[in-house]
Amino acid sequence: MPHDRLVAMTGVRGVLRSLAGRRDAAVLERPTQAARREPLALPGRASERRAWADAASGARRPSVALHGVSKTYGNGKRALVDVDLLVPEGDFVFLVGPSGAGKSTLIKLLVRDELPTSGSVFIAGQDLARLKRRHVPRLRRQIGIVFQDFKLLPARTVRENVAFALEVTGTPGRQIRPRVDRLLALVGLSDQASQRPAQLSGGEQQRTAIARAMVHDPRVVIADEPTGNLDPLISWEIIQLLLRINEMGTTVLMATHNAEVVTALRKRVIALEEGRIVRDEVGGYHRDY
Amino acid sequence: MIHFLAFAIKRAIQGFWRNGVMSLAATITMVLMLMLLAGLLIVSSSLQVGLDTIESKVEVLAFINEGVSEERVEGLRADVEALPEVASVTFTTKEQALEEFRATQAAAGNEDLTRITGTNPIPAKLNIKLKDPRVFGQVRETLLGPPGVVQEVIDTQETIDELLGVTGVLRTAGLVILAVVGLTVLLIVVNTIRMAVMSRRDEIEIMRLVGASDGFVRWPFIFEGVLVGLLGAFVTLGLLALASQPIGQLARVLAAHLPPGFQQNLTQQVIGVVLGAGFLLGGLGASISVRTYLRREPGTG
Repeated sequence: MPHDRLVAMTGVRGVLRSLAGRRDAAVLERPTQAARREPLALPGRASERRAWADAASGARRPSVALHGVSKTYGNGKRALVDVDLLVPEGDFVFLVGPSGAGKSTLIKLLVRDELPTSGSVFIAGQDLARLKRRHVPRLRRQIGIVFQDFKLLPARTVRENVAFALEVTGTPGRQIRPRVDRLLALVGLSDQASQRPAQLSGGEQQRTAIARAMVHDPRVVIADEPTGNLDPLISWEIIQLLLRINEMGTTVLMATHNAEVVTALRKRVIALEEGRIVRDEVGGYHRDY
Repeated sequence: MIHFLAFAIKRAIQGFWRNGVMSLAATITMVLMLMLLAGLLIVSSSLQVGLDTIESKVEVLAFINEGVSEERVEGLRADVEALPEVASVTFTTKEQALEEFRATQAAAGNEDLTRITGTNPIPAKLNIKLKDPRVFGQVRETLLGPPGVVQEVIDTQETIDELLGVTGVLRTAGLVILAVVGLTVLLIVVNTIRMAVMSRRDEIEIMRLVGASDGFVRWPFIFEGVLVGLLGAFVTLGLLALASQPIGQLARVLAAHLPPGFQQNLTQQVIGVVLGAGFLLGGLGASISVRTYLRREPGTG
């Protein structure tokens, strides 16, 4: 039985135990009740205001900042409309909203796969519109990206998939192995290092992808529906891993449709609808009130 | 840097094998083109050398009719020698001419047929050397001036003109064919590398996401193109080496007396040109491909 199945069997409770001591932990056990118990999280866009205030006072630098960002594609589709968003360093933020609400566009802007039509995007203090083409790779190394479909190379083993990200960025050969070993230990895949993606469960594949996203010790991890292809228990495992990464100081931005997870964790939730931020508060997947 | 090179070369070789059929097709076309190139080079430089040799030996021959008195021949000789374009004139008697003829026949290993005739069929002649092999001036007219003295004037002008014509046609035709084949090779390399890029799409996407610089994305493909070019060049040189014996003979036929070191010079030239052309075509084709299929700037609209 694969390792992650065993973890999965201990399930949510196992995850919870690992989160013991966190404010959210109690909430996790009975999410719906918890939601009722705490009907009023933070009203309006208070958390955003707090984030701006934090940033202004210099308490925590924003690792992601969007100012009046709009994105209109060539075909006239308005994917984002006047989006303001500030994510302080070390935060864990959910990005929710129906398909086509602009989540993917937002992520593309953050990794400079697209440039905004107007407004500006900052990652770790860098204005992406002013970033020269040759400096884009440096930006990408400060961002770890995780996808719903894992994007692993099928012909390479787990170890090689993770090492690939180091190879192609010019890391000297002798540094690669220890770093990969450390990351595989972090995601709990040391024993599966020489297996190929096809031999792994979905959860293990996603953990491989997360290990790869972490190779350059990024400041921000952006996860685009990382649990979209996984069953609920395995999803929790992935969330647990992202929380652990967040605890280690990395900002995590996770786009998801997983209502259960979002509601249970009581993290900051940014809801997009038709390209606008319609809600930005600590709370559940749906409006609590 | 060394790490980068190792990475790019490793990936280029991997890509070459992964794309086996296309790579092979590209290499074979490359070989064909380089063979043509080498062939053209060999033929044209042999012809050029032959031409130079002929030019350096240029002389006008005037064959004297039977029974013309020596005084008349001497008079003609003096007239011709007085011409400004003439360097020297020598008279060869019938007997001397026969000896010369026999000597050349013996050297060529032919049977001496003049022994059978009993009489001497070889005419006496005047050999006129020109100051400039291309300027004949009044030599021909002067020689044919006194009636009945000169039987026939042979000059190499026609031969040289013909040779020049042949080399010109050969060179033009060769260059046209070469251009067409070169273009084909270029397109095939472009296509081969495009296929390589396509087959590595996922890898390229991941490379970009994890922050690989453009160099790491592009250079392996350019190296792959260069690999096709150089492999084609080496195969071509190998085939030429195998065929060097007949080629050498061909060169000797085209230019009867090759100057010393000619073959060595030509060999060096051929190696240089074939390697250079393979390298450039492979690299150029791959660069075009990479430029066309890997370029993607984020848009604001």
